[in-house]
Amino acid sequence: MTQSELASQLRALCGEDAVIANEDELLVYECDAYTMQKNLPTAVVLPRTTEEVVAIVKFCAEHNLPIIPRGAGTSLSGTVLAVDGGVMIALTRMNRVLEIDARNRRALVESGCVNAWITREAVPHGLFFAPDPSSQSACTIGGNIATNAGGPHTLKNGVTTNHVLGYEIILPDGSIEWFGTEPNGGEDVAGLDLRGAAIGSEGMFGVVTRVLVRLTPKPSTFKTFLGVFDSVDDASQTVSDIISAGIVPAALEMMDQLITAAVEEAYQFGFPLDAGAVLIVELDGLADGVETQGHQVESICQVNGAREVRVAADDTERAAIWKCRKRAFGAVGRLSPNYVTQDGVVPRSRVPEIMRFIQATSKESGLRIPNVFHAGDGNIHPLILFDERKPDEVKRALAAGDAILTKCVELGGSVSGEHGIGAEKIDFMARQFAKADLNAMQLLRKAFDPEKRCNPHKMFPGAKRCAEFAPKKQAAA
Amino acid sequence: MILKPDNVSGLQDLLRAATAPIDGVDISSLATLKTHVPEDMTATVEAGVTLADFQAAIGKRDQWLPVDPPAPERITIGELLSENLSGPRRMGFGLIRDWLIGLRYVSAEGEFVFNGGNVVKNVAGFDLCKLMVGNRGALGVIVEATFKLAPQPEREQFFERSCSTIIDVAELIERLWNSGLQFSVLDLAQSAGSNPRIIVGFSGAAADVESQSGQLREITGFTQADLSHDTWRTKQSNHPLSVAPGDLVDCIQNHNPEQYVARAGNGVLYHPGAAPERKPSAVEQRIKELFDPRGILRAL
Repeated sequence: MTQSELASQLRALCGEDAVIANEDELLVYECDAYTMQKNLPTAVVLPRTTEEVVAIVKFCAEHNLPIIPRGAGTSLSGTVLAVDGGVMIALTRMNRVLEIDARNRRALVESGCVNAWITREAVPHGLFFAPDPSSQSACTIGGNIATNAGGPHTLKNGVTTNHVLGYEIILPDGSIEWFGTEPNGGEDVAGLDLRGAAIGSEGMFGVVTRVLVRLTPKPSTFKTFLGVFDSVDDASQTVSDIISAGIVPAALEMMDQLITAAVEEAYQFGFPLDAGAVLIVELDGLADGVETQGHQVESICQVNGAREVRVAADDTERAAIWKCRKRAFGAVGRLSPNYVTQDGVVPRSRVPEIMRFIQATSKESGLRIPNVFHAGDGNIHPLILFDERKPDEVKRALAAGDAILTKCVELGGSVSGEHGIGAEKIDFMARQFAKADLNAMQLLRKAFDPEKRCNPHKMFPGAKRCAEFAPKKQAAA
Repeated sequence: MILKPDNVSGLQDLLRAATAPIDGVDISSLATLKTHVPEDMTATVEAGVTLADFQAAIGKRDQWLPVDPPAPERITIGELLSENLSGPRRMGFGLIRDWLIGLRYVSAEGEFVFNGGNVVKNVAGFDLCKLMVGNRGALGVIVEATFKLAPQPEREQFFERSCSTIIDVAELIERLWNSGLQFSVLDLAQSAGSNPRIIVGFSGAAADVESQSGQLREITGFTQADLSHDTWRTKQSNHPLSVAPGDLVDCIQNHNPEQYVARAGNGVLYHPGAAPERKPSAVEQRIKELFDPRGILRAL
């Protein structure tokens, strides 16, 4: 089938305006926020209903075409890269909040619904949707399910899988299933937890179309601290000591000097420019407990040599802190034309060690590596800065990333805390898992997609790569 | 036949050699707490350890695994996971799947499989931990688990109140649900021949538990209690009826059981009547055939 035949067949299923198949327009879909590999899908189709998704998926099954489900394309690991072409199903037109069930603290939404829109609709009921990836003003709930997305506040509240009750999914053969709790149904579902098994499967088990999420009552009290430290080492030790003291803050985030300076230049919050590291510690809950834990956090900061511990004066200041934190990646463009980021994880007590290793790696590679990350989870985000016009820097950047992830595994951690494996970290799977472990995952995949047609060439060693494997112009995302 | 391996490799051999469906696996030889890292709030434990022994060991450092099925001294970590057991504090602390971060199991074909890891946040690979929780021994034999742990609550207090009718229960539950109080327990219970009761609890910082208990006392009729209402479940079906929380009282009225325990915050009703038969879906059957091609483990 030629590209234009494919386009006209898809148009017959979903309408004239629902299909993109010319090269200029397809460029938008050549990659996600991981820009080291790019390839055009054969066609992009933008369905408006579950029925249209079913029709597309059945058509692709009949013609043995790869399908690539896509949300907002904010993946940082190439999870929605069309490695070998194929039909990309973009869910961005299926973006409605269908129902807020305040009594049962649930919302039913379409899978292309933007993460932040759920909270926007829930807030009038005193509720919110807890997972808050930094891209939450753009990323979709379907994408959150595919990657089991996290965010700063998942330290206490949990990640996507802890807040998704159930969903409708179109399997690669076109059959419609509902996994987990059905709308108006009970939480406990007999049989295997297919809901949980398919969350984080990076779009390889099917196309999610509707989602039932759990909403959480908004805490009555927040207390947000900025701890200012002379060194990353002192800040890292503070993180470790807070967790050791049995305190689970709502969020516990670190920004080092480089990133703090870039954020300050971009958003003018009033961060100190000369501090080695800034910790954002947020406590939430009931007034008395927050007050007591607040004193503990302050004294742990001071014991570790904090130069200053500031408390956000009100909701406006608290919101400003989080705006800066969540837009930190966006400020990196001020530091460097290009960057690659990693999201390895280490046991929380090893944060000081991995931070020292990153500093050493920076020195060794001659590349600057600012850090802004979920310290309380041990989930690092070193941003390795380079200039794509200098091939040697590109090579050193990739090597530095490799060394840092290898160290994470060595310290008993993982190569990904929230971004996923995608096309990017395939080579690491065999370092973190034994053959039997990977085989078991492949068995599960086979139950959903025996032909490996759904989001192919991802996650598993031996997958095909794009011919073009070099960084193109990368606007700091 | 019940398999009784001496160690993991013995279990692998026994499963590989099995030619007929087995009746179960006695994993009492796998009963070691492998690691507890209090600074990370994580622990790795073999599946034959009882929940009570595990809690006692990690409790020495003021940590716990916040799931509370009845009779923890008789439940192994393996059963806790494969049966997805829970108790009254589910309202406040969630289910065991929310605390499991790593798993080792032996497959029906004798493969030793690891999934997840030692860290509290991890998306590398598919989440087979979720698949194995509640698999009831149909997909593999769990031999070891890694959990994230919670700090033990500084204080807990429980209260109960008897209601003369289920209608009174319904009204009071709505009032509590909308009160802004943060319950770790919000249960209903009725024993044969007596009135329905509401049992609630608070867990957390001492000052928070005190102030919330004070607020609760403003609603008349609550007296100090414990969680003994849940213990009768030990001999009963673990497979409850489940409805949206707002439909729970209707569900109780429809089934009208003489004796029950219900989780009002989760919409879950346990009563002695057997759970209805359920046919596994096509996807579940495909998973079963792939994970247990010779059909030697328990049926789905």
